[in-house]
Amino acid sequence: MSDPLIASMSVSSSGLSAQSLRMRVISENLANSQSTGASPGADPYRRKTITFGSTLDRVSGATTVSTQKIAHDPSNFAIEYQPGSPAANAAGYVKMPNVNSIIEMADMKEANRAYESNLQAVRQAREMVSMTIDLLRSGN
Amino acid sequence: MNISAITTGFPTSSLGSTIKPDFGAGEPTSPQGFGDLLKNITQSAVAALQSGEQTAIAAIEGKASIQSAVMATMEAEQSLQAALAIRDKIVGAFLEISRMQI
Repeated sequence: MSDPLIASMSVSSSGLSAQSLRMRVISENLANSQSTGASPGADPYRRKTITFGSTLDRVSGATTVSTQKIAHDPSNFAIEYQPGSPAANAAGYVKMPNVNSIIEMADMKEANRAYESNLQAVRQAREMVSMTIDLLRSGN
Repeated sequence: MNISAITTGFPTSSLGSTIKPDFGAGEPTSPQGFGDLLKNITQSAVAALQSGEQTAIAAIEGKASIQSAVMATMEAEQSLQAALAIRDKIVGAFLEISRMQI
């Protein structure tokens, strides 16, 4: 496992996992962008954030990426006037989730790009391994 | 031909240490023969394929992520390719020797 090319593939694989988890958090935020509380005055869905950290993989000696924390965005909720909602307070106002779909879209694009570059790194490392193995074949 | 150099450089673990043929009490242990080498290469390739298949099946069942399944399958494929290439090379060398005029 100490082969650097194999190690780089496992590093890229950790990047793929990290970005897919990020994608999960983004879709959770988007799906719950209208999730209010169930009782009057209750807090609605709070936007989730994800942070990554570097981890040393002791088997290969490579630095992989891992999820550090899935936290909550502490920013204020939007207030909307919806007297009919079960979550409306006495004055008829409802707290809406602090999810901004434009921010989520931008995040999604970024996750997509990062995933793509990790994939490209895997592809490249695989090609280099195959090229090296092919040395044995052609020089018969 | 230095066969031990090949076996120690090979990435799969089972090659280097498993079989040491015993040619009698007084003689020092000799390097592996062609047959043993072929056997070891085949075994390690089969083991790599099996672990790749296990991860792929786990991913189909939803227990492992797609990424890990793809990585395991790719790793298995690569060690199989490497094993096949080395095997072809060794068989070629063996044929070369067997065709030699004495």
